[in-house]
Amino acid sequence: MTSIGTGYDLSNSVFSPDGRNFQVEYASKAVEADGTAIGIRCADGVVFAVEKIVSSKLLVPGANKKIQTIDRHVGVAYSGLTPDGRHLVDRGRSESYSWRGTYKVPISVPTLADRLSGYVQAYTCYSSVRPFGVSVIVGGVDDSGPHLYTIEPSGAFWGYMGAATGKGRQAAKSELEKLDLPNISARDAVKAAAKIIYVAHDDSKDKDFELEISWVSTSETGGLHQFVPKELLEEAERLAKADDDDEDDDDEMDED
Amino acid sequence: MFRNSYDNDSITYSPTGRLFQVEYALEAIKQGSASVGLVSKTHAVLVALKRNAEELGSYQKKIIRIDNHLGIALAGLAPDARVLSNFMRQQAMSSKMIYNRPIPVSRVASEIGDKAQKNTQVYGKRPYGVGLLVAGYDETGPHLFEFLPSGTVLEYFGAAIGARSQSARTYLERSFESFADCSAEELVLHGLRALRDTLAQDKELTIQNTSIGVVGLDSPFKLYDNEEVGEWLEKLGDVGSSRGRRQAEEAAAEAAAASAAAEAADTDAPTTDAPAADDEAAADLPAEPIETDD
Amino acid sequence: MDHMPENWGRPRNDVYGEYQSAIHNAGQGPQSRTQTPSITGTSVIAMKFDNGVMLAADNLGSYGSLARFTDQERLIKVGNETVVGISGDASDQQYIELLLERLLIEDNYPQDGHHLRAPHIYEYLSRVMYNRRSKIDPLWNAILVAGKNDDGSPFLGYVDLLGVTYSSPSIATGYGAYLAIPLMRKIVSEEADAKNVSEEQARKVIDECMKVLFYRDARSLDKYTVATVTLDGEVKMDKNVRCQNMNWRFAEGIRGYGTQKQ
Repeated sequence: MTSIGTGYDLSNSVFSPDGRNFQVEYASKAVEADGTAIGIRCADGVVFAVEKIVSSKLLVPGANKKIQTIDRHVGVAYSGLTPDGRHLVDRGRSESYSWRGTYKVPISVPTLADRLSGYVQAYTCYSSVRPFGVSVIVGGVDDSGPHLYTIEPSGAFWGYMGAATGKGRQAAKSELEKLDLPNISARDAVKAAAKIIYVAHDDSKDKDFELEISWVSTSETGGLHQFVPKELLEEAERLAKADDDDEDDDDEMDED
Repeated sequence: MFRNSYDNDSITYSPTGRLFQVEYALEAIKQGSASVGLVSKTHAVLVALKRNAEELGSYQKKIIRIDNHLGIALAGLAPDARVLSNFMRQQAMSSKMIYNRPIPVSRVASEIGDKAQKNTQVYGKRPYGVGLLVAGYDETGPHLFEFLPSGTVLEYFGAAIGARSQSARTYLERSFESFADCSAEELVLHGLRALRDTLAQDKELTIQNTSIGVVGLDSPFKLYDNEEVGEWLEKLGDVGSSRGRRQAEEAAAEAAAASAAAEAADTDAPTTDAPAADDEAAADLPAEPIETDD
Repeated sequence: MDHMPENWGRPRNDVYGEYQSAIHNAGQGPQSRTQTPSITGTSVIAMKFDNGVMLAADNLGSYGSLARFTDQERLIKVGNETVVGISGDASDQQYIELLLERLLIEDNYPQDGHHLRAPHIYEYLSRVMYNRRSKIDPLWNAILVAGKNDDGSPFLGYVDLLGVTYSSPSIATGYGAYLAIPLMRKIVSEEADAKNVSEEQARKVIDECMKVLFYRDARSLDKYTVATVTLDGEVKMDKNVRCQNMNWRFAEGIRGYGTQKQ
């Protein structure tokens, strides 16, 4: 970023001479500093997983959920400034609330993603606000099946079969590419998600983390977004750990 | 030119994606005296160190009751805490009015988190300059949340904010595993021990400067101030910082050693090493921060 | 000539002064709100028993004296352990259903182990009903809320279009207040009586009440739903129940209505 300090990066909504909005780019830096979040679109639903960095052992395990719900059928996972993510989720809830009041049916996931991205985009247009410091993975099941989107701080949004944001997104993305998407079952996707978060986690940078997984699937949850049952989470985590250890062993052997 | 041009408002990201004004607001918390919170399976406790601006002035309130089942302790700008506590009271009252239900602790905590976030994303506002510990008891048991000006709200077994709160946190981290089965009384004493570790060297916990809030199963939020704190301090026994105490002990040991050395000057009795590091440690202590709680 | 058509046929400004457009904008009369219901549901009845609460409401939507809809469901499951029974205006009922659905969706957001139970939903509906009556725009309904109390005991409450609220171990709305309550009070009159009444006994009385109501209430139907909320947190919905063993022989003796000459 050669243009840093030339004055074009001090205010939102201002283009630099080469056509960049630096404040939006800086917002993306906040995203890259946070734990990994992934979303997988599977055969009949969507699975979310996040790597929750544990900053203190005084934190209550299992509390402080990071994955959130919009309406009943949409899940949201994000990396970046958590309070910004909550703000955006709040907006999504208002959208689905008013949609339901007007049409008496749940909002469709593409419509919701479209409206949310419009909201995020608006925060790049004015010098009186700052862009959202989150990349948000939005997904759910509606009448037309499962959907998965990622909304960037710029307001751009893309549909995905497998999405990743945050620190470990590169590693996570290459793992996602190995999956049989979108044919994988929801249950297998949960296990894959756990494994991916373990692979994406960087032991050298962050010691402890907590794995959080949720899903919304026609067959498994009746189209509702929920956290996966404890037993499934534990099984997925056990498999992921075993796998992670194996790879570590392999690495050591390679070194030998 | 400004020293750092990315820190003039709360809506400008630095090139590394940081919000300096928000981070500075977090620093404002450390300007206030310490507050400590902790939970067992049945109770949640808040303890806090009050300050007075001058000898004849009153002490700044540090613990505020929100509802029968809920209270907060603050560190930082007290007026900001009053705004937030009024808001929390409104939320608590509407929960009673609309649902006939005491507001769940986690929900009122995240409400203020969401409120604080707004101040970090819009020009012309400033982040709150106060940290809160929200302690309460509801259907799902006792809870303790830490609220920060960034809008972050996290649930803890034990938490400490304010000046020298790291010392209290160290105490909490060392002993939190035993909190779960503590009685209310034991929990308060743990809190006071953590709190006294935040004291400046020459200070002690007194009935004037100590506040205690307790809430739990079948016991509505109770605030102990002034004379009512007396019995707790008696139970605590030693009201000075363990760090201060350590230094006092070491000083005494040094004196003893010196006199022993003098006595043993003729003999070859080994002298005790007076730990020289102590003075350094004392010098490292931060000066009493400016009074922002008032 | 005045080329503005809206000025034609009006008193001339130069003679009578400026035209007061408020006169034109006044509309048809005073602003009015719903004064009467249109499609209506009749009584909802409910009583406590030893292990919960039982409710019943028939499936009729009347348009005045016309039996317009015969498949109306007026007992609504709200969450996992609460049932709301609604009598009165059907469109207001649908609006209340929307309110309750949104309420549950929002209550589910935090996923923090807290759930709205019957007393909370009852308080909420009471606020809504009283608010609307205070705006002189009432939701034209009488509502029963049944479920569990905070302490696990059975809960039953009533709120109506005036915002009137009360609780009792046996309650009925509409005609049921006259015809069903005496029958239900035979076995559950006081709060303590409910402990001595089994689910089977309660069901017998509820079925009897629905039969009496069908006999006597001209806006009722012999097809109804029975909902049972048990204290172990289960809600059973028994739908399309029919009144049994009815005898309409006496109808032949009724004179003064219908087409008979004498």
